[in-house]
Order: sequence, then C-alpha cells, then structure tokens
Amino acid sequence: MLGNDRIPKICLQTAAWGCASLTFGVLVFMAWLSIPVLRASDTVHILTLPWLPGQGQFGIGPMILGSLYISVLSLIMAAPVSFGAAIFIRITRPGTLGKFFQHLVEAMTAIPTVVYGFIGIFLIVPLIRETFVQGSGMCILSAAIMLSLVISPTMILIFSQSISSVPRQYTIAVEAMGATPAQKFLMIILPCAWKGILTGLILGFGRAVGDTLIALMISGNTIDFPRHILDSARTLTAHIALVTAADFDSMEFKTLFVCALTLYLLTCVGVFFARAAGKRQ
Amino acid sequence: MKFFMNTLKHLSWLLACCFILVSSSPAESIDSFTGEKGTLRISGGTAHIPVMKIAAQKIMDTHPDIQITIAGGGSGAGIKQVGEGLVQIGNSGRKASDAEIQKYELSLYKWAIDGVGTVVHPDNPVQALTSQQLQDIFAGKINNWKQLGGSDRAINVYTRDESSGTRSVFWKKALAKGDISPKAQFASSNGAMKTAVAKNPYAIGYMSVGYIDQSVAPVSLDGVRPDLETVKSGKYKVSRGLYSNTKGPATGLAEKFINYLLSPEGQNIVVQKGFVPVR
Amino acid sequence: MKNHSAVDIFLSFYAWCCAFILTSAVLTILGYLLFHGLSSLNLDLIFAHTPVMDALFLKKQVFGGLLPAITGTLALIFLSMLFALPVGIATGIFLSEFARSGTRKILGLMFDIMASLPSIVVGLFGFAVTIFLHQHFFKQLYPCLLISALCLAFLVIPYIIRSTQIALESLPPQVRLTGPALGATRTQNLWYVLIPMAAKEIIGGIILAIGRSAEDTAVIMLTGAVATAGVPNSIFSGYEALPFFIYYTAAEYANTSELMKAYGAALILLFICGGLYLFAYWIKRKVR
Repeated sequence: MLGNDRIPKICLQTAAWGCASLTFGVLVFMAWLSIPVLRASDTVHILTLPWLPGQGQFGIGPMILGSLYISVLSLIMAAPVSFGAAIFIRITRPGTLGKFFQHLVEAMTAIPTVVYGFIGIFLIVPLIRETFVQGSGMCILSAAIMLSLVISPTMILIFSQSISSVPRQYTIAVEAMGATPAQKFLMIILPCAWKGILTGLILGFGRAVGDTLIALMISGNTIDFPRHILDSARTLTAHIALVTAADFDSMEFKTLFVCALTLYLLTCVGVFFARAAGKRQ
Repeated sequence: MKFFMNTLKHLSWLLACCFILVSSSPAESIDSFTGEKGTLRISGGTAHIPVMKIAAQKIMDTHPDIQITIAGGGSGAGIKQVGEGLVQIGNSGRKASDAEIQKYELSLYKWAIDGVGTVVHPDNPVQALTSQQLQDIFAGKINNWKQLGGSDRAINVYTRDESSGTRSVFWKKALAKGDISPKAQFASSNGAMKTAVAKNPYAIGYMSVGYIDQSVAPVSLDGVRPDLETVKSGKYKVSRGLYSNTKGPATGLAEKFINYLLSPEGQNIVVQKGFVPVR
Repeated sequence: MKNHSAVDIFLSFYAWCCAFILTSAVLTILGYLLFHGLSSLNLDLIFAHTPVMDALFLKKQVFGGLLPAITGTLALIFLSMLFALPVGIATGIFLSEFARSGTRKILGLMFDIMASLPSIVVGLFGFAVTIFLHQHFFKQLYPCLLISALCLAFLVIPYIIRSTQIALESLPPQVRLTGPALGATRTQNLWYVLIPMAAKEIIGGIILAIGRSAEDTAVIMLTGAVATAGVPNSIFSGYEALPFFIYYTAAEYANTSELMKAYGAALILLFICGGLYLFAYWIKRKVR
C-alpha cells in the first residue's frame, strides 16, 4: 500500500478539507440561525435595546460593549508589562536569568483559565471591593486584572520572538558603532520588530475577547450598559454561557447565535489583521 | 472499552449484592429499584438539587447499575428539556403554566413546599423590610444601605436569570411584578446566590428558604421572617411548591424516583434539607 | 564599559519592573492555591469515604469525592484525542508535504480562524447541533460525553495540525531527499523517514493539545458536563469534569469543606496541566 501515493494523499486531503469546511460550516450555521433573528427585530434594535427578555427586548449591545470594555482594559494593563517582560528576556538579561524567566512565562500558558477565575474570586474581588469602597468587587476591573494575566504569556512570547528575529547583522553593526542597549533597542530593534509587536497585541486581544470563564466568574454579569470600570458587566461569551441554560425555543436562545456570529466575525477580523501584520514583516 | 467497563460492572454488581445482603437491609422504597438499570437524567430547578443529590446518592449506592445525572439550569430549562425529551425528569420551582402543561403534556409531581426569602449578609444591621422598601430596593430607587439605617455603602442587588422559578415566584409575590434594576448582578442558581450574598457584606438577594443557613441572614418581610415554620403555617406568603415534571405520566426509573421522593424516606430527606414535606 | 545614559537605566529599570510584576503575580497565585489547597490533598478528597479499592474497581460509587470528576476529565481527554489525533496529524502532513502553495494559503487561513475561535462558540455550535439532531433524527441523542469530546477535538485539532506541520517542515533537506533518491515513493519516504524523524516534535505538540482539552471549561459546560453523575459508564450520558467542578463549586459551595474540595480540584487540575507541560518540555529538550 505504501508503494502507492494516491490513496494516502486522498485520505490526507479529505482530513484537511474536512477540518477547513467544518470551520466554515460553523460560520454558515451561526449565520443561518442568526438571519431570522436579525430579520424579526431589525439589526439596529439588537444593538441598541437593553436585554429585557421579560419585555420582549433582546438587545446584545451591553454585552458587546462589556466584551470590548473588559478586553481593552486587560490589553491596556497587559501590553506594557508584556512589552517590558519581552525586553527583559531579550535585552536586559539575555543570559540565564532571561531564559529562566522565559520558561516561567511558557509555563504560565499551562495554567488553566478556570484556576485564574477561581483565584480571582477569592483574592482580587474582595480586594477591589474594599479598596474602592464601591460596588461588590465583581467588576470590569477585577475581570480585566485576571484576564491580563491570561493573555500576557501569549503576548510576551510573540514580542520576544519578534525582537529576536531582527537580523543579527543590524544589531552587530549598531553595537560596533558603540550604541548602548537602549539605543540599539530604540533605533534598530523597535522599527524592525513593530509589526510582530502588533501581531502580538492583536492575538492578545483576541484571546481576551474569546475568554469565557474569567468574565463569567468575576465580572458580575449585569445586563446594564457598562460605564465605569467599577461597574459590573457581562461579556458576549459569558452571555452565551448564562443563557444556554434557558430554554432553546425562545427568542433569548436564538439571539445567542447573533452573539456567536459576532464573536466569529471578530475572530476573523483579528486573524486577518494578524496575518497582514505578519506578512509584511 | 465499553465491553471492559460492562464486565467490570457485572462483577461489581455481584459483589455489591453480596455486600448488601451481608451488611445492611435498606429501607423498603429503595428496594423498588432492584433489578432496574440504566440512566436517569434530571435537570432544571436549582432549589431541588440538594434533595435530588441525596436521593440519587442513596439509590446509586445500593444499585450500582443505575446512573442518575443531575444538572441545574433553572425551572424554565427543566420544563423545556423534559418537554423536548432531553431529560426524563425536569424540575421546576414554580408550577408549570397551563400553556406549558398543554404543549408538552406534562405530569406534575409536587414533593415539597418551599418559600423564597430575601437574604442579606449576616453582618448587615438591616434585617427587616416592608414590601414597599423591598420593591424600591430591587427597582433601584433605594440604592444605599444608609437610607435603611445601615452603613453608607451602595446596595448590591443580586438577581437570577429569566429561566429561574425562584425569580418568577419572588417577582410575582414579593415584588408585586415590579421592576428589577438592570444594575442587578446575576447569580446562576440558588447555591450561587447564597455564596454571592455570604461573601459580600453589602449584598441583597433572594433564594429558596431551604438554602438559608447561618452564612446568610433572612430578612423579615412586613414583620414575617422567612423560615420553615412561617412557610409551613402559611404566614410567610412568598411560597411555592417544588415540582418534578415528566412528559406524560412518569414511567420506569422516573416513576420509581418520584415515588421514592414521596415515600417516608424521601420526605425525610426533604425535611433534612430544609423544606416543608407534602406528606 | 559603555557609558550608560539615563534612557538605558530607565529601560532596564522598566524591564526589571515588568519581570518582577509578572513573576510575583504568578507566584502569588500559585502560592495562594498551594497554601489553601495543600491541606485538602489526601485520599479522602478523591474517594471521600468509599474504600479506595472498591471505588477503583467500580464496586461502589464515590459521592462527595473527586473520582467521578477526575475520571470524567480523563475520559474526555482520551476520547477527544481519539478523534483529534488522526485528523490533526493527517491534515498537518497534507499541509507540509502535499498541498500546493495556493491550497496551503487557504487552508492555513481556515486553521488560523479555527485556532482562535472562542471555545464558547464551539460549545454553542455543538449544543445547537445536538439539539437539532435530537429533535429531527436521533431521539436518543443528548448532550453527553461524546458530544463534548467531539467539540474539544475541534478545539485542539488546529494545535495538532500546526505542530505536525512545523515539525515536518523543519526537517533538514538532506533527510527529505535521501529516501526518494534511493527509490522510495513519497508515501514510503513519509512513513519510514519523515514521520519517525519528526515524531518527538509532534508528540510535544500533542501533549500541549491534551493540556488544552483538560482545562477547557466553556465547551463542556454547554455540551454535557453536569453537577452529579458518578464515574462515567457510557459515552452517551452526562459526566462530571474537573474544570466544571471548580467553576461550579466556586459559584455555589455550601460550606468550607466543599470549598476546600474546589481548592483541591484546582490543585489537581494544575498538576495535570503542569505535568503535561513539563512532559512536553522534556520531550522537546530531547529532540535538540
């Protein structure tokens, strides 16, 4: 059988195209189930109305905003730290200590998200409640803090990879001219690596938007439009998790597919941007 | 792998039989499960779960061929899922509506009476409210504990999702169908509600009276404290039955399970878990 | 010695701060978990009051212990890998060895999307399809272990694809050319030379995928994980799982002893995932 090239190739090909079409199938499925909802209550209403199923209003605007709010805040907290950590690994301490730190960061990716959420409930939430003397502590800020820990390893690893992929000739040349590490970093590495850094930011943001458990466990899941970082909020992902328990013939359940479609499209946009940024590097 | 597991199970079944013969004589109603095997799927109301868990445990302990899975989801999900045939027993903490009963040909079995009580953190000095105050708190009109004689902190209102039977009973009977503020945070079950309120000194929420223990403080409503006694006597008005629903009359394992709940032993569990028995 | 300017000092100070913040955050989390959880790690945590041998040989059901959740998680890992491995590895091989560059681009894009889809979307998809099938075709199909395993497989396939593809593509050209030069067909070369050479790298990727399927909660909470089920005895029924247990207990523990169980479960899950990670790391080290 191994003498024949065609049959194995067809098997492999089937597997590959099967996976790809399944991925596409998810999109079609979500879109197909979203269309009746979008038609029944036109698209603007889905985005602007509040979520009051008792009164026949099924707006998912608060959840979209909640998702963006929590993800952006976690990115704002995680990006500078990740950036500094990548500099630490590649420039400040490129030797043993940097290596060790990199291993620590890689190991962080193995910590289950639910563990972060679990610790968040007992460590961060009471802390935030008593520090800011407002609300229950189950808020955007608490969720964003834990989420920033979840997304930073991804970003650090991509940042540090893109810093290290700056051609050696450049860095050696600058070193030979007597530049300090900071000059080398600002003048050569940053201009060369910024596209990789952009990729890291996009992927980090993607992970933040896609995460369910952290927001579900510690952001309070309020259905109001969030205004303040100490407000509770509900993300799209947590919304899906909460409402799926409801009955699946109702309008509530059907609007979940709009949420899922939104998440899918956000993912696609992220992937496109990340690929575009990666290509031109 | 399945074959392997089955063989193991047969072996263990034999051994378990010997074990039972030697060691104990289980109560009569549990004996009715003898010879039964298969899976019983239960979901829905979360107030039911403690009783369901104990009952399932007692049955599975003596009858290893029976597997009982219990999931939450809320009363709405329970009714829906049993109607669609996804589970054999769908629990609800409210009586299924006539439309639901008709649509799914439900049979209702009420095996306990429960109240829905307002709860706060035990450290909270505010432990009595009038109906009007309660409605204003949940509507967001009263939003600081200071207005009620407590500390100067915002009131954190906790609520349940639309699928919850506890919510619909509380909303109808305690809030007089008044608004629930969109600022309210969500707990996904009675257990989650208790944990949330027990952890937050500025919280107020509502939950099954059977769930109330020393980790939360019940709030008297118009002078009546929600507890087993006032619910039993009918003095506390915000009460409801705990139902197990089946599609059509209960048969097989589901029937035996419900009969077990209604047996003296089952009703004992009901009392033990803080509910009012029906028999 | 170079003349360090203020910018230099600032940059290294900044880098040190960031490294310190991150390290201390991780250590705080791990320390907190160990501090609270270690005391609950004992046989009772897993088996409750059931005699260990009785529980392991399924003579008695375990209640109040973590055995059902642990076996549920192991069953999930086993089943999801059963589905994901053949498909993922086959696709990876196809991408690196057979696909033309145009095909590779399209498929690569699809797998990038597949890899970054939020797991809750996959869970919702699995749940909705199950309900659809239940209503129209198979009355006997419910959200269950099988459905969860299929959804988890979908989630980890892209990781397996990528590690297979990278492992094969990074083989040196000499290795690639020797086989065909001796008259081997493409398939023979692949089977006897390339895959064995790349195996360790591929296995490293697989182990990381296992870790991912062990920890994911969003998918299983929609597709069949339940609060109580006992040790799973069929792939067509609900099951308990560690991550779901942690999530569920964190929300509604009734007393301290239940909470301690959640700490114990979190530690066990952390040990499983950490152990898998170290194992993958060890294999990768051996490659080099």
